[in-house]
Amino acid sequence: MTSGHLFNVFGPLVVAAPALLLVLLGTAALLGRPFPEKTISRLTQAAVILGLLGAVAVLALMLAADRRLVTLTMGDWIVLPGQHFHFTFKFMFDRLSVPFVILSFALCGVTSAFASKYLHREPGFGRFFVLFAVFLLGMVVTSLAGTIETLFAGWELVGLSSALLVGFFHERSGPVRNGLRVWTVYRVADAAFLIATVALHHLTSGGDFVRLTGSGPWPEGQALLTSNQALFIGLLLLVAAAGKSALVPFSGWLPRAMEGPTPSSAIFYGALSVHLGAFLLLRVSPLLEQSLLLCIAVVALGLVSAWFGAVTARVQSDVKSAIAFASLTQVGIIVAEIGCGLRYIALVHMIGHACLRTLQLLRAPTLLLDYHTLENAIGGRLPRQPTMWEQVVPESMRRRLYRFALERGFFDAMLTDYFVRPFTRVFEWCDAMERRWTDFLAGEQSRESDSLDLAGRVAEELR
Amino acid sequence: MATTVLERSNLAVARSPSTASLERLIEQAAHLLPSQGPISVFVHHNTLHALEEMKFADALVHSVETYQCQPYLPEERYRQELARGRIRREDLAAVLQDDLSDNGDELIGLLGTRFYLRLAMLEHSLYTGPSEELRWIIAETDAARAFRPDVPAEVRKRIIEHTRRWIMREFRNGHSHATVASYSPKLVAVVGELLDSFGKACIEEWSEATWEAFTLQLMWRLCVDGASVSASPRVGRPPLRHRDVLLEAVDEDCDDLVHEMLIRFCAVFLDQGFAHWPLPERDKGFYLSFIELYGAPGCLAPRWLRGLRAEVARLKEDAVGPLESIEESLELLGVGADEREEFIATTLMALRGWAGMIWQMETNAEWAVRPAPQGTLAEFLAVRLILDRFAAVYVAQEQMGYRGDLRDLRTTALRRRSLSVNSGEVQRAFLFFQLAQTLGLSPEDLQRLPSKTWSKLSAEVEAFSELERRRTLHYAYERRYLNQTLDAVAAHAKRAYRRLAAAGPQPTPDFQMFFCIDDREESFRRHLEEVHPACETFGYAAFFNVAMYYRGASDAHARPLCPVVIKPKHYVEELPVFTFEEAHRRRALARRWLGSASHYIHRGSRSLVGGAFTAIVGSLASAPLVGRILFPRTAAQLRRMFGTLVRPPEVTQLLLERSEPTPGPEEGHIGYSVGEMADIVERSLRDTGLTSRFAPLVIMTGHGSSSLNNPHESAYNCGACSGGRGGPNARAFSQMANDPRVRAILAERGLRIPHATYFLGAYHNTCNDQVAFFELERLPLTHKEVFARARRAIDETRRRNAHERCRRFESASLAISPEAALAHVEERAEDLSQARPEYNHATNAITFVGRRDNVRGLFMDRRTFLASYDPTLDDQQGTILARILAAVIPVCAGISLEYYFSCVDPQGYGCGSKLPHNIVSLLGVMEGALTDLRTGLSVQMIEIHEPVRQLFIIETKPETMEQVIKGSPTIARLCNNEWVFLATLDPQDKTTRLYRNGKFEPYQPESHELPQVYSSVDWYRGWRDNLGYAEVADLPSAARGSAAEAEIGAWA
Repeated sequence: MTSGHLFNVFGPLVVAAPALLLVLLGTAALLGRPFPEKTISRLTQAAVILGLLGAVAVLALMLAADRRLVTLTMGDWIVLPGQHFHFTFKFMFDRLSVPFVILSFALCGVTSAFASKYLHREPGFGRFFVLFAVFLLGMVVTSLAGTIETLFAGWELVGLSSALLVGFFHERSGPVRNGLRVWTVYRVADAAFLIATVALHHLTSGGDFVRLTGSGPWPEGQALLTSNQALFIGLLLLVAAAGKSALVPFSGWLPRAMEGPTPSSAIFYGALSVHLGAFLLLRVSPLLEQSLLLCIAVVALGLVSAWFGAVTARVQSDVKSAIAFASLTQVGIIVAEIGCGLRYIALVHMIGHACLRTLQLLRAPTLLLDYHTLENAIGGRLPRQPTMWEQVVPESMRRRLYRFALERGFFDAMLTDYFVRPFTRVFEWCDAMERRWTDFLAGEQSRESDSLDLAGRVAEELR
Repeated sequence: MATTVLERSNLAVARSPSTASLERLIEQAAHLLPSQGPISVFVHHNTLHALEEMKFADALVHSVETYQCQPYLPEERYRQELARGRIRREDLAAVLQDDLSDNGDELIGLLGTRFYLRLAMLEHSLYTGPSEELRWIIAETDAARAFRPDVPAEVRKRIIEHTRRWIMREFRNGHSHATVASYSPKLVAVVGELLDSFGKACIEEWSEATWEAFTLQLMWRLCVDGASVSASPRVGRPPLRHRDVLLEAVDEDCDDLVHEMLIRFCAVFLDQGFAHWPLPERDKGFYLSFIELYGAPGCLAPRWLRGLRAEVARLKEDAVGPLESIEESLELLGVGADEREEFIATTLMALRGWAGMIWQMETNAEWAVRPAPQGTLAEFLAVRLILDRFAAVYVAQEQMGYRGDLRDLRTTALRRRSLSVNSGEVQRAFLFFQLAQTLGLSPEDLQRLPSKTWSKLSAEVEAFSELERRRTLHYAYERRYLNQTLDAVAAHAKRAYRRLAAAGPQPTPDFQMFFCIDDREESFRRHLEEVHPACETFGYAAFFNVAMYYRGASDAHARPLCPVVIKPKHYVEELPVFTFEEAHRRRALARRWLGSASHYIHRGSRSLVGGAFTAIVGSLASAPLVGRILFPRTAAQLRRMFGTLVRPPEVTQLLLERSEPTPGPEEGHIGYSVGEMADIVERSLRDTGLTSRFAPLVIMTGHGSSSLNNPHESAYNCGACSGGRGGPNARAFSQMANDPRVRAILAERGLRIPHATYFLGAYHNTCNDQVAFFELERLPLTHKEVFARARRAIDETRRRNAHERCRRFESASLAISPEAALAHVEERAEDLSQARPEYNHATNAITFVGRRDNVRGLFMDRRTFLASYDPTLDDQQGTILARILAAVIPVCAGISLEYYFSCVDPQGYGCGSKLPHNIVSLLGVMEGALTDLRTGLSVQMIEIHEPVRQLFIIETKPETMEQVIKGSPTIARLCNNEWVFLATLDPQDKTTRLYRNGKFEPYQPESHELPQVYSSVDWYRGWRDNLGYAEVADLPSAARGSAAEAEIGAWA
């Protein structure tokens, strides 16, 4: 068998394994006959191992055959020859996607092993693993995407599973509300992404990254866009990346996302999901080279987010928020590295950071024991190293900075007051206008729903 | 809206001298708050401690109002227990009979006696819901088309048949038949209408199903009529807090706004050193640091808090203190003097976890790194009320366009509230409809009921409300285990003493072993006695009277190892022996270096530059990540192996004896005097009744539990050591008891410990079932042989104990071998992903205080606290008993009641699921990103628990016990108010008496049968559920030994 054949065996396996897992778990759940716990965790493990083996085999083959780019095409789904438009599902293996997909499988494998014990006897066990399968498939599709629409599909799967896992404990209102918040921010990011996709199709009559980033395999290659085109698309993708990676000013959702079971928080907000924005920027990094302005924007956003994360992490008093902001700090630095063109460093940084945070988040509940052990080792209370800030920054400034950090940069308040509120106000105004108009046409009150009493009737009899 | 607040605030608020009364109100309210302190020192206590002055049932009714939590399990749960036989019909009947006494025979119209009505209501589930839902159920489901599934087929058939005849006879033709005249016109109309809708023309061809539907619809109509006769609209009291009123009026929760900010502030204020930057001006207290922080310029406030800065600045300028601020806020909120008490209580209860923690840190945690100064709870309330005001103004304005005075907000909002007062008519009709089916009433019976009967029925149903039904079901649930236990203990004790009397004088045992009274040690003791019948075991609170601050050789701080109620005066330290001092110094240095380094990495990984560095080499973290999650046991062994390089040397000694006259932490003052040691040893031995027949080896066993990823770890440790590990107590006690000077003093007091007896300290880890022995290097060579024998027995016991525990773990196969079971529990302790390292006190239900012989060989399923006490060595007043029970009853009752409440409402009283827990401020856990501090036990801890009140069985005369109750207000309160059950077991004739209504009534056993098994494993093998009692047959030791071997062989 030639290496080409082997690629055609192992390549699809990488995508097929998680897809099959999702189909199996999803169908069983839809039919109302979920598998028992043991079967679910075995299936998940099998899918992860298969996928991981496939990815490693592809890597080995690539090394052996000295190929730097392998593409797998799943065919054109839509072709409009008149408009020069086609919609393709395409996967590619290169120096960016292979390490990232291996990382995804490795971390998902470890986390699913963790979760299958941690969530033992939890009523939502099956639901967790279905969402986990959605996430895994989304991660794999995103990492291997060869066209921007493929990437978008994976991106959406990740977003959906992420929001639903934040709201995993849906019997309480907090998780649901925070899940909705995450979802809303993702929508904004997705909108930007979608516009970028459309624009890219318009400009290059296709979504292929190869087309976008030129001929050479990642990270070389020259984008076939003008500087202004690159800036426009690049900025849109930057908004998309900022939303997904919780960069400033979207950072507010990151600590709020710590509502799900610990393993899902770890895999999403410590490890993989939070790096997707950076991954997107890495994927389109040849684009950055076309526009200095874009590079500056990326670096600036990265540095601001990193600084913000570092400052905010210092005042967090709960372990999961502290890790969330620490995570943000590093993602910010990674984004800045990408902006500076340090692509390999960014990749290594990303992989190392993902492993570290997963471990930290998974063992977050053991914090008290760790502190106790550390205290015993040191032989006294843990020293509080006075930081540079405290020596350099004056008292009043520090207080202000503290408030800034405690209120998480006021970003939530800002977004709510200056973005969401005007937005909803506009639509409320439209609604009022519409009502006036229909009332006028009907010659009477036209909306029956107004007279319905919706509030406070649920539990009247149960008291 | 901010200006309205300001203007109002500028009004000269009368600075009334009532601040003292305000403080009193706050303190009163504080007692209702959860009293759980920092989670690293977890002490089990009665969740409803504040209501202990009331009878249990009354307190629970009261608690629903105060805590908005469930007082019992859901009604359906009890019905399931009824169905599977855990509650028997006779238990239900007995409890009902007891409650109703003579009133049970009263007739409810033609419907039978009250007793039968209630029994029917208990046995059959009665659904209720909002009116809309019930109407939907009738219209859209099969409820009005088919009989309930729990109606027996013959009853169903009878009713349908009866209705058919009746209708055919009286109504078929619709013409004014003679008899129709005797029915009310309304009924005739209803029947006519129904007949028409079902197709009267072909009535002769109606199928069985049509008749069934017809019958039920007719019944439903009749029930609706009946329900309308007996109208008794209920008008609820309007809520007190502005938030609740607004929530009802506009469905917007002010607390969402307030809590987000307040929780964050509470967390940084109480933080014990987790955050890198401490709260500025924390030392000034809660209120002032809030003012300083939120008075600072240059910050962006969320919309609802616009104006807060100005308000805070005013408070600062006018030097308004917290109490005055509360006065002011109450005034501005329009809270009248008569509502104050309740308003303050409900306001504090709104964020009860944090408020409770503040109160604990203020009153009860002087040992913490950063306790809260006095008055913090009042300051918290002041801040909370300021925020409440802002939130109420904002929500009222946004949602209602309300711009008026805050004082009138509640009245205005209440008017907006949906005014549909529910008459409860549909609910009642639906209840009647369900009852009619279960009672087997036909439509003809129903139409015959006079309106008087309908209203009587309505009153009856009302009187036997859901809460009352659940209470009755719960009592029946408890009655069952109570009877089983008393029967089994009495029967077993009788037989055991008969056998003992027949056997004559007892030989000296090979060795004796002391354990904690902990329910988890019950199985260990039972197995040990099975494995090595020639041993004896004792149960005693495992601090062994050595109340001390203890500091181990590698510990940073001294921690108290004694029950929380005792404040230790003595200090004990562990030191390396001289030979190893140098090694110790070197290793301590290495440890410090490693510790500092890992602390630096821990901190650094969250910072900017350090984080970048750690992240770039972060791939190294994948090794421990994969290792610890996929291979926890191997990873732990590896870690231990490397750990030995820096661990303090194996051989250490206790600094136990002081040279100075007074105890204290300074040099020379550390330790005990010989006299004190003698007192400690004497008291422990006399309490447990070990004053003669000393074995050559007496092993004192402390206990604790080790687990990972478990914020509640301390709850799993020894309760008698205030959540610490009790090994050092056992070690210290043994050293004291071995001291010849101590023995000399004891001998003078008539307690002779033979020279040949050696005391040895040990430590049992209840999670991984390891037993470690202390100072084996001091063990006399003469005892080598007996120790080897004891150790063999203990090792076998560990395996069997692990095996018995594994039956409860769903992830361990029921076919597991003892060897694999031990490996399984070892892995659980080391597994990061294990949410249930062990089940702690779950399933605890009974406390037995008395001689071991009474219950030795009785399978008690790890549900029993066992305290040793010999009534024959005590006086008439029960001096020894009183001092044992002074600790045992409150402690065991506290554990059992905490489990009870966390179990009946894991979300309300417990801390919810462990899975999203988030450690905050190093003090407690939140459920997810930002919630109230969650107290109580988690779902994972209580899932196999049966919520029942603790049954105390004391081997003593009732008269003695009465004296003890009289002597202790705590015991009297718990027993008289029925928070626990109390029974006595007569030391001589082994009859039992149950304490009811202030006196001991003779208990009539229901059964004398007790299944006999050959060994514990025969009884529990293959079962995961709670098991009943069984007698592990007392076989001759030789036969048993070989049998045990055969058993092990079968597994291997």
